Amino acid sequence: MSESATGGLSLTGLTKRFGGFVAVDDVDLEIRRGEFLTLLGPSGSGKTTLLMMIAGFLDITEGDILLDGASIRGVPADKRNFGMVFQGYALFPHMTVRQNVGYALDVRGRPKAEIEARVDEMLELVQLQEFGHRKPGQLSGGQQQRVALARALCFSPPVLLLDEPLGALDKKLRVEVQDQLKDIHRRVGTTFIYVTHDQEEALSMSDRIVIMQNGRIEQLGTPTELYERPRTRFAAGFLGKSNFLDLADGTYALRPEKIDLAPQGAINGDARLSGTIRDITYFGAMQKYMIAVEGREDIEVDVDSWRNPHELSVGQPVDLGWADNAAVKLEKT
Amino acid sequence: MKPGLFARLNRVGAWLALLFLVLPALIAIPVSLTPKRFLSMPKGEYSLRHFEHLFTSPEWLSSFAQSGIIAASTALLATTLGTLCAIGLWRVTSRYSELVRAFLLLPLIIPQIISAMVFYRLLVPIGLIDSYPGLIIAHTVLATPMVLITVSASLANFDPKLEQASRNLGASNWTTMRRVILPSIKPGVIAGALFAFILSWDEIVVTLFISKFTVYTLPRRMWNGIRENTDPTVAAAAVVLIGITLLAFIIYAVVARHRAQTGASEE
Repeated sequence: MSESATGGLSLTGLTKRFGGFVAVDDVDLEIRRGEFLTLLGPSGSGKTTLLMMIAGFLDITEGDILLDGASIRGVPADKRNFGMVFQGYALFPHMTVRQNVGYALDVRGRPKAEIEARVDEMLELVQLQEFGHRKPGQLSGGQQQRVALARALCFSPPVLLLDEPLGALDKKLRVEVQDQLKDIHRRVGTTFIYVTHDQEEALSMSDRIVIMQNGRIEQLGTPTELYERPRTRFAAGFLGKSNFLDLADGTYALRPEKIDLAPQGAINGDARLSGTIRDITYFGAMQKYMIAVEGREDIEVDVDSWRNPHELSVGQPVDLGWADNAAVKLEKT
Repeated sequence: MKPGLFARLNRVGAWLALLFLVLPALIAIPVSLTPKRFLSMPKGEYSLRHFEHLFTSPEWLSSFAQSGIIAASTALLATTLGTLCAIGLWRVTSRYSELVRAFLLLPLIIPQIISAMVFYRLLVPIGLIDSYPGLIIAHTVLATPMVLITVSASLANFDPKLEQASRNLGASNWTTMRRVILPSIKPGVIAGALFAFILSWDEIVVTLFISKFTVYTLPRRMWNGIRENTDPTVAAAAVVLIGITLLAFIIYAVVARHRAQTGASEE
């Protein structure tokens, strides 16, 4: 990852209240230069409000935002020099793709030749060289998304804000665009702050993820850290799937794919729980088993289809086992 | 699929309604061709003498010009004011803005005869009675709400994210207005200008009250022509007006179609 000279942000005690409602509640966050940081949370968690405050579209109620150490609290949106990719792209419908991409340089009064050269460069980056003279309405959703990205990066902003930029795309295209985004991030070296409610997007693209709930940071860490060691029940349930086991010394989170499943008596090692199969769902690459265990909630077990050695059927008694480090103890909340 | 009885009745009804609306206006065409000196249907004989009179009489020509000047000025002023006003109300989201909007729409709701009296009382003391500025001011007051309505409708469809995007890309408020907001609401602005022009062009009630000798607009001359000497030149003038309107509409339709074809045709 290349590092640009600027683009480190720190949020200190950042708070946003709408009347009596607290949308963002005393958030402290250090965003490193050049990193891909994802704000992940359900709707209403405050992630978009946070982004809008960074962009300068919402006033800060309390706290401050520092860019490379200097406060930008009083700086209006058009003077912040942050790129932004909007939900639904917000391309100017009456301008061509080239005019859209060159807009930021144009309003800065840059010479025409410089703008043209830079627009060419950006269109090449997003592979839309042949579409420069079309209007946004004549492009597909995926192409519009790329124009929005080129437009936001054209003036080399130190920070790029992305507000659910893939929300309008279908699933297959989304995976494709995720790879392109990651690649572009690597090439431009700009700090990316990415808002989404899609956990797969967050896991596959981010350097670090911030899980938000009720205007607060629930947990912050790399995708691996968050997935392998969730701290709270919310984090464990929102990022990936988890079974929750109430044991004598507290609640544990247990990922469905970390559980061994075998007919009664046939499991390797110790059986930790026994139950009967209530339901089997086939997903092609994997199969989902719902196991009814006496005195507990149903436990989900995900098994890769190719290595499922046992012929299991609904109603069959089974044993469940897992490694010692598979179950993660959660903090009391 | 065969259209049902109801659908057929519906279609016939639509044509009847259309005829009902259009026929009275079309009556002017045969009347304008009468060879007689008073308003009448031509019986076998046709003449263009009234058209000749219309285009040679200095009074009629002057009225055309006066109406044109007043309507164009009104359209310009009302469009500017109405557009600014609509954008202002759209920007400021306060509970008072709806109150202000309702207040600004009053000229449309108040009976014109009342407005006419008020304009008369207002314009006499400031010496603007029977003058171009007086008429233009009065017509602008009446036409601005039209522009406010059409532009507000356009703004309701305007995506506020486009404004944010423009600001985010470094454009000032003014640049954003000029390069993003105005182009997006252009259809509403043009429609408003058109409505304002037409309102002023055929306004008679207020005009009767506040004009006398100096300013003599086209509707006023037509009104006088009928009231005093049933002059068929009125019918000729009406035919010319219908012709101009039709022409403008055809041009508009052709331009709109052309734009639809070259614009987002692949979507």
